[in-house]
Parts: sequence; structure tokens; C-alpha cells
Amino acid sequence: MNDMHGILFAYSSDHRLKPLTAHRTACSLPFGARYRVIDFMLSNMVNSGIPDVGVIMREDYQSLLDHLGAGRDWDLARKRGGLRILPPFAYAGGSREAGTYRGKIDALNAIQSYISFIRQEYIVLADGDLIVNLPLEEIFERHVKSGADMTCVCTSRKDNGYAADAAFVRLGAGEQVTEVLLSALGEDVYPCIGVYILSKDLLVNLMNRCNAENSVDFTKDVLQRYYKEMRIKAFVYDGFAARLHTVADYFEQSMNLLKPEVRDDLFSRSRPIKTKIRDDAPTYYSPESKVKCSVVADGCSIRGNLENCIVFRGVQIEEGAVLKNCIFMQDSHIGKNTNLSIYITDKEVTIEEGCSAKGHRTFPLTIPKGSVVELSDMKGLFDKRSNEKQ
Amino acid sequence: MKKDCIAMLLAGGQGSRLYVLTAHVAKPAVPFGGKYRLIDFPLSNCINSGIDTVGVLTQYQPHELNAYIGTGQPWDLDRLDGGAHVLPPYMTSKGSEWYKGSANAVYQNIGFIEQYDPEYVLVLGGDHIYKMDYSKMLEHHKATGADCTISVIGVSYEEAKSFGIMNVNPDGTIYEFEEKPAKPKSTLASMGIYIFTWEKLRKHLIDDEADPRSVNDFGKNIITNMLNAGEKMVAYRFSGYWKDVGTIDSLWEANMDMLSGNEIDLLSPTWRIYSRNSASPPHSVGENAIISHSLAAEGCDINGLVYNSVLFTDVTVEQGAYVEYSIIMPGAVIKSGAAVKYAIVAEGAVIEGGAKVGASPDECNGSGDWGVAVVASGVTVGAGKTVKARDMIDADIR
Repeated sequence: MNDMHGILFAYSSDHRLKPLTAHRTACSLPFGARYRVIDFMLSNMVNSGIPDVGVIMREDYQSLLDHLGAGRDWDLARKRGGLRILPPFAYAGGSREAGTYRGKIDALNAIQSYISFIRQEYIVLADGDLIVNLPLEEIFERHVKSGADMTCVCTSRKDNGYAADAAFVRLGAGEQVTEVLLSALGEDVYPCIGVYILSKDLLVNLMNRCNAENSVDFTKDVLQRYYKEMRIKAFVYDGFAARLHTVADYFEQSMNLLKPEVRDDLFSRSRPIKTKIRDDAPTYYSPESKVKCSVVADGCSIRGNLENCIVFRGVQIEEGAVLKNCIFMQDSHIGKNTNLSIYITDKEVTIEEGCSAKGHRTFPLTIPKGSVVELSDMKGLFDKRSNEKQ
Repeated sequence: MKKDCIAMLLAGGQGSRLYVLTAHVAKPAVPFGGKYRLIDFPLSNCINSGIDTVGVLTQYQPHELNAYIGTGQPWDLDRLDGGAHVLPPYMTSKGSEWYKGSANAVYQNIGFIEQYDPEYVLVLGGDHIYKMDYSKMLEHHKATGADCTISVIGVSYEEAKSFGIMNVNPDGTIYEFEEKPAKPKSTLASMGIYIFTWEKLRKHLIDDEADPRSVNDFGKNIITNMLNAGEKMVAYRFSGYWKDVGTIDSLWEANMDMLSGNEIDLLSPTWRIYSRNSASPPHSVGENAIISHSLAAEGCDINGLVYNSVLFTDVTVEQGAYVEYSIIMPGAVIKSGAAVKYAIVAEGAVIEGGAKVGASPDECNGSGDWGVAVVASGVTVGAGKTVKARDMIDADIR
């Protein structure tokens, strides 16, 4: 056993992900044809031998609870330890108002008693909405060996949406963090992807100091303020890592899955990503179907034409449909002779026969969960969405 | 706690007519339909019918089957009271013996059954493909006041010669059982699904065990003896898809039947077939791939041409590979330039580039040499090598 404990921050969602996050958090966003975003970090933790994981949530967490259940699908339904759901809980000194936590320290303060009972020496703090398959065990071993106070995981890639809002670090010899920035100042900075390893004792000390200073933000109030007092090492990860801020990010990162090298990174055979089991049958491809460059889950019936599509479980695609660069979430029904491109249907959407619509990379058309789209609706819907955007 | 009805699933058979496919696994663990194993069908039928206690009688090559069943969780059969139990032969103070036959296997587990004090016991095989609501059969059993109800299905006159046939009175009671009759009097074939009133079955199991001439088989001995003893035996007619997959040909045909969706709708959400799922990613269909009238499970990587075939979990079909009318079991790899036709390629087998496995009936010119080719699990067919139609390969060809 590697003596690590996992804490996942699953409380925040970027409002720019709406309507996809109208009824869920970014962590429970369906991604990659059969997963929810949280499956990635949760599986990373389980695959690295972490026995106990706490998931901090605050708002809109019903779909997340439904997905996680008792944690059995990740082998975390344990008699001792395992998955622990940490919903909002009023704590002395903390914010009792509705709304999300003001920062990670605020969120951690809400679970002080949980932290005090953690039986492992080390804690991995991670954002629940990261899409990555990290060699967490290796990162941990390196952390212990290096004798650093904290290890933060960074990415060397500029193409994965990390430039948006992250801590950026400049590195000196031996991957030592020499500067912490809030935006990318210069070419030689690395974005942190939001995974930190530190000892439980250090975390508790840092929380106490933040409380004394009435500060709540991990990046600003911990990393930036104290990096000189601590030895912070970086682990630079070269593989695919993504985080979703907007619907356009969602679309682009989903399309990245069509690249075999991205799939190899994310779906490593030795570190499988586990998710809630639904027991769908294998997918059926009819003689009239034509499919290329697509990623498809179980339980679908494909009778139309697909190119560059991500198809979730239980989707039905009827004859004559011509679908390019689309994402169809669970149990969507795409009618006959439809013609769609750059189009996202949330769960249980029905697109009636003959509909046609085209989005743009910067603005993928997104149909909310459970909607029915008829031929006559299409123009109106598009106008409505364009107005909302403005 | 007392149970109304529990199931005993006979899963110990070797399935010798599946030859190399059951060399290392029990027949109920043979993969089927893209992501299932044969035993998923009776286990799912049980839980969907409200039967939450299933004894699985294992004997032949049980490791894979035992690991597959595990706690019974994939079928929701991990219960505080009841659930799935794997029942291998065991030792007693009087000694130990293998299961001598299907009736003896249940006889040796009378103690297991009595823990639940059931009124009725459902006895099932582990090697048929069908969806059936056993609770309706149980209602029929109770309504007719039968001592034994046997599920039967109408077959053609020719087929009747190869089944156990029930000869039935107009009121549905059975007056005679004939095993593979040369001149069938009826075309109602036994499906190997029995509901017994436990008190009666218990008595006949004990009597059968005491008879040194008995081969301890349900069909041959228990059913015949109960008929002779004048017990009330009732036929329960089933209509719907039901297929015995005891042979290479019938296993291949039953897989092909899954493509039409008319026979058994595997996609139907109302009577799901559960299975132990692997954590495989979604499958991918590449730029130059064609997949037509086929099933593909998660984890597949499809870059070649696939027609009328069933691709199980984690199968790779490389660009330039050709697959038609074939069953490619979990983890098998069909490399670029290989051609697989009318074949069963078992788990983890590798068909190297330029190799040819199987042939279409046309290519055999109706010479009578045609048949499904089989490559056993883990076997590699080397580059440019040929496996002829109807051949069965259980060692590497290089």
C-alpha cells in the first residue's frame, strides 16, 4: 500500500458549460462515449492503489451522487475506507450562504473533521473535472524520494485548454518550483493541472495558516504566498490532459478522442478508466450504415452515416442520417434523413426525421437533456441560442 | 429464511462437442453474443424472474467460471440471504465423489437447498440462449398443481428426432418421455428447464441415488421415474427464441442469429442480459474501416473490413484485414492482410498478416467439406498460413 489518500474537488462548474451543466456539475458531465468526467481522476486514484477517496461537492450534485453510488464500480465500496461522499456541511467560521465554496481551502475547511480522521500519511488533492490518465503511483514515489514538501503536476503541452485558468509555475534545477504565477507570463512556464501531493500534516498546517489569515484560495493563498518557504517540486506530464471550461472546449476535447494517440494516452490498458456499468448489449451496425473515424459505446444501433462522431451508450441512429463532427449522449435518438454537423445532443434527446443543422467549432449547437427537436423547430432554436450567446 | 423457489443451475458439463473451445473452460463460460458468456442468459433470466437464490453446480474446468460468477454481483445476485453460490463437489465424513450425473449433482447438494426450505426448485442448464420469465412457469406449476413442470418448445418433425420429446395429453399433462425418438409421436422438445415441487424431487433424488443401475441423469432417470410413479407431470409451452449451443455449428448460428435482432433483442431494456463487464474504452471505427451488419463490443479497434460478424470486447481488426460471417472472441487480433471467413476465432488468438482462416460455402463448391473453422484461444496462425474450412486449430501454426 502506498499510503496516499485522495480528495477530489467536485464542487465547481464553469457557467460557460451551460446548458450541459444545467442539471449537473462539470464532474458529472458525460465525456468520451461512456464516461463521466470524474471517472478519470477517480480511476487514476484507484489504479495507483489509493484505498480511500473523499469527494467534495456543494451544488447540483444529484447526478454525481447517482453516478458514484457506493463506489462499487471503482471497487471503492469498502467496509473500511473506500469512497466517501462529502456534501455541504455548515462549519464554524465558514460560509453558510448558498452558492459554491470560495476556494479549495474553504472547501477543505468544510471537511476538517474528515481530514482529521484520514489514516494515510499523504494526501492527493485533485480537481474532479480533469480528463487525464496519470501515473499517480510513479508521481507519488518521486515525491517521497525527492523529499519535497509538495509535488504539483504540470503539463508540457500547450494544446489542451490549460492556458485558461491555472496556476503557472517556473521551474529551476531538479524541477524545483521557482515562481508561481496566475497567468502565463513568458514561454517557459508550465500550467499546473490541479493535482497536488503533500503530507496530511502540511495540509493541516496550511489550512490553519489560511484560516488565521482569512484566506481561501489554494493557488493564490498557498502556492503563491508560501512557495519560497516550502520545497515544491513539479512533475511534468507529457500526455493528454484536459479541462473543460466552455461548450467549445467540450466539443474540441471530445473531438481529440478521435485521435488514436489521445485514446492511447487516456485509455491505457494498464490503467483502465472505470465507470458505472449499464449492461448494454454490443452495438449493432446495419448493412446500410457507413461509419468512419468515430468512437462508439455499447448499446447503440447505427443505421446512418457517421464521420468524426462520439456516440454514447444506447444511441439510435436511423437510416439516411448524415452526421459529421457530432456528439450524441446516452439514449439520444437521431431520426431518418437528418443532416447534422458540429452538434451536441445531451442525454435522451430526440431529433425528428429530416432535421438539418450546422454549428461552428466556436459555437457547437447544443440541445439540452430530454429535448425533442422537430423540423419546424430548428430555425427558431438556432436563433434563440445565437441570441443567448450575445 | 424460507424461499418460495430457488434455482439449481447445472454448469458442470464439459461440452465436449465444442471441442477446442471448451478444452480449458466449462461450457457455460464460453463467450457468446459479443460480450456475454452462455451462463449470463440463465442467470439474468433468474434475477429478471425474481429468483434471487441460484446454486451453480460446477465440476469441469471451473476456474474461469468461478472467477466469472464471483459474488454474483454483475447479476445482482450478491445477497445477504440467498444470491449466487458456486457448488463444486465436496468431501464428507463418508468420503467424496465427483458429480456422477445431473441428478447426483443436485442430490449431493440437498443440504444447500434445504437451508432455504423452498417449496419449489427450478433446475436449469447453463448452455441455452433464450429469454424466459420463470415466474410465469412457476405460476403455471402452482395453478396446475403439478409435481414437475417441464418447459417445452415446438420443433420440426426432423429436429424432434434429436431432442428429448414429451408426449402430452390434451390437458397438458405428460404421459411419456422419449429421448431422441426415431419416429417422434410429438414435436414438443424438452428445453431442459424443470420446476419441481421440492418435496417430490427430494424423494426421487434419494430413490435414484439408491438405484445402482441409474446413471443419475435428470432426463433419463428422474423424469422417467416420476412418470412411472404416476406423479403429475405438466408441459409448459414456451414460444420465442431458444437455442441449444452445444455444437460448433449451433454456437456459430446462434451468434449469427443475434445480428438480426428479431430472434432475441439484446438491446431491449425490459429484459436485460447482465454480464461481468470489462473496463474497456468505447470502440473505435477508423478512417478506412467498413463495418456492416455486425455487432461490436467496447474496446474494439476496427480499421479493416467487417461483414456479418460478431466482434467481442477488445478485438482488433487491422487496416487491410477482412472478416466475414465470423465470431471473433475477446482480445483476438486480426492483422493486416489476414482474411477470416465463416470462422470462430477464440479469445486472444492472433491471425497474422496474409493468413487465411476458413472459407465461404461457395469457395468449397458445395463439396461437403465446408464447415465453420475454429481457432482455439491463445493460438497464433502465422503469416501466410491457412486454416481450411471446418478445421480446428488448438496449437500455433507458424
